[in-house]
Amino acid sequence: MRVLAVARNTFREAVRDKVLYVLLLFAAAAIFGSKALGWISIGQDIKIVKDLSLAAVSVFGVLIAIFVGTNLVYKEIDKRTIYTILCRPMHRWEFILGKYAGLAALLALVTAVMAAVAAVYVVVLGGRLDVTFFQAVLLIYWQLLLITALAVLLSAVTSPILGAIIVFSTYVVGHATSIFTELPPQFDGTFSKRVLEAVYYIIPNLSNFDIRAEAANGVPVAPGYVLWAIAYGAVYTAVLLTIASLAFQDKDV
Amino acid sequence: MDAIATRNLTKVYRGHIGRGAVRSLDSLTLTIAPNEVFGFLGRNGAGKTTTIKILCSLLRATTGEAFVMGQDTRRRDTRKHIGYLPENPYFYEYLNPRETLDFYGELHGLTRAERAAEWDRLADLLDLRDIAGQRVRGFSKGMRQRLGFAVALVGNPHVLILDEPMSGLDPLGRRLIRELILLLHGQGKTIFFSSHVLGDVEQICSRVGILVKGKLTTQGRLDELLNRRVNRVEIIAAGLSEPAAAAVAARSDGVRESEQGRHFFVNDLDAANAVAADILQSGGTLVEFTPIRESLEEYFMREQETVS
Repeated sequence: MRVLAVARNTFREAVRDKVLYVLLLFAAAAIFGSKALGWISIGQDIKIVKDLSLAAVSVFGVLIAIFVGTNLVYKEIDKRTIYTILCRPMHRWEFILGKYAGLAALLALVTAVMAAVAAVYVVVLGGRLDVTFFQAVLLIYWQLLLITALAVLLSAVTSPILGAIIVFSTYVVGHATSIFTELPPQFDGTFSKRVLEAVYYIIPNLSNFDIRAEAANGVPVAPGYVLWAIAYGAVYTAVLLTIASLAFQDKDV
Repeated sequence: MDAIATRNLTKVYRGHIGRGAVRSLDSLTLTIAPNEVFGFLGRNGAGKTTTIKILCSLLRATTGEAFVMGQDTRRRDTRKHIGYLPENPYFYEYLNPRETLDFYGELHGLTRAERAAEWDRLADLLDLRDIAGQRVRGFSKGMRQRLGFAVALVGNPHVLILDEPMSGLDPLGRRLIRELILLLHGQGKTIFFSSHVLGDVEQICSRVGILVKGKLTTQGRLDELLNRRVNRVEIIAAGLSEPAAAAVAARSDGVRESEQGRHFFVNDLDAANAVAADILQSGGTLVEFTPIRESLEEYFMREQETVS
């Protein structure tokens, strides 16, 4: 199957990228370093370690998605490897989907490794792992799938630097979308308010995937909520990948 | 059915800020019959690669149509019939030739067994067995070109589209490619290739097309296009006495001397025969008698000058 062939190759190439290991090393350092902050808050160290470790999994996952994702299609065009691929009897969407699936598989592996390191560390420190911790990891991964879809879309239409800036901005703003709706009263009825409201509806609300606080405090999260967040992410991801395929359909390479 | 046909193919690249639109290809209408070896000539920027990329569906034509084996090139299944070798082909550096061919075989829709058979066929044809396990990263230009050819031949397509297949290769590499093209021609393939190396084109093409600034100025059989009349004859003679040499020189259109003897240039074949007879009668020896015909290179230069 052509999508799988492209995905397998993308995975193989990304696994051999040195940037990946540098980022994983930093992620491990951040997870182990979280204990230092635990000392500051007496009796709270396990909570802090859980919270910061999950934050590290999220941030470093996003950095990998950005570094690899925004280069994904662009690099194929830049290095001209795409010529001998797109002249095959395949649909262009199969190429986009394959590139995406390869990176999604890589992120699954990376997230699993980082989460395993964090989980072992929590247990070694005497903490207890509950289902919410794993739900939090699942939703972090689901957020990475969405971010990666945006990165792949941008890599098909723009340069990696511009793409990285846009994806990173979306990640930051996506975690604080409420700022677009909770405006001071002087904004009422203005054009700016309408624009900001439109942005609110376009930008994914990434805080939907953030149940770190619950995981740190061992507060259960209803499975229904997790399923809803998964569906929310899947719709956004599908829309982004559809746009990426359409944008790439007639692109001159 | 033509193997390749284009109708009024035009490509205009949109301009950027400060630069106007560029018309890279202008109403190209071209037909190539099955099993033809067609040489596509033109200077850098004439539109050769643009044409090739449209045929391979990497670029969309602004207007016009292109067909391969009677099917529109925009259709996905048309590409089953095309084997494409880009200029300076690039492949994934971290794969070896065997993995590379397997990857392209999968993209072509071949089963695992078919891919294994393709490897056997192409590794023998292009002598890839010795380098089967080496990563592409360390490959020389010649090795990359061999691998590129193998990739183009995956799935045994009817039509081969080769963009400057001989550029940057040493004489041995060029010979290998020439022989390969002739072999594939013998197997019934249609070969469309662009080249700067006119000598190579002259040796292997049955027909050529010349593109000047995006327009096709000429297409036809080489023997019809080239002026095959003898333009000039070069006669080399030795052992002539000075007065005899002076007499022969008077009947020639040019003279020069070399270690081989005296070179007499005569612009007419009959006159050249008379000059040769004079040389023999005067006791001289005929070292060489060479009729000079127009080469593709001369024709190409003449075309360029006519258009500009």
